[in-house]
Amino acid sequence: MRDTVIEVLKSHFGNDRDINDNTHMMDDLGGDELDILDVIVQVESALDISIPEQETFDVRLVSELLEVVGRHVQSD
Amino acid sequence: MFSQIKLLLFVFTILGVGGGYMYVKNLQAENEILTLNNQKLTDAVDEQQAVIEQQLADIEQIQNINADLNKINKGLEKDLQILDEKYNKINASGQRRDVGDLALNKPRSVELIMNKYNKDNNRCIAIASGEPLTEEEINATRKSQANSVCPDLANPNYIPY
Repeated sequence: MRDTVIEVLKSHFGNDRDINDNTHMMDDLGGDELDILDVIVQVESALDISIPEQETFDVRLVSELLEVVGRHVQSD
Repeated sequence: MFSQIKLLLFVFTILGVGGGYMYVKNLQAENEILTLNNQKLTDAVDEQQAVIEQQLADIEQIQNINADLNKINKGLEKDLQILDEKYNKINASGQRRDVGDLALNKPRSVELIMNKYNKDNNRCIAIASGEPLTEEEINATRKSQANSVCPDLANPNYIPY
């Protein structure tokens, strides 16, 4: 799951980007709110999961994304 | 015999004078008609001239309006391009983001994001109208803290990513 999320992030923001748990998708990767939403949709598609919208409103850090995705990979 | 000739001469003279008088009267009448017609033509030419001048003024006004509309159109095209680049930008893999698709998948999220953009946009207008910057705006140095629409205006300490 983690590899898939990182792969989606690199595909979206650039393969040369240094991405770790503390990476901020806006401040460190230059994305905007729509980029984050786009990444979440891509992750959902890649992992065949569905994440309720209200859980993703405040996702900005990669660790927050991994946490939210992790909850649904385990439960789905 | 002599008196008959005199009478004839008199009659011819009267007829000549009468004919001349009638001829002159006729000429005067025709002249009056011609003068009237000439006046009517002059009036018609003046009216046409006024119509032509009005049409030229209208054409100039239409050309000015067209020029203004073209300027507005170019501005709108530029704005549309900026919005298109902002909302449907291309990611590192060359895929174009489709806000329409995102809105279908995540309507509430897109609504919240658009509300934030609107709020930021209104703030830009307020700042441009003379409202002072807040401490938060002045101290913003990161993208997540900056105004998403006019960071140049709202966040003097933010260096765009």
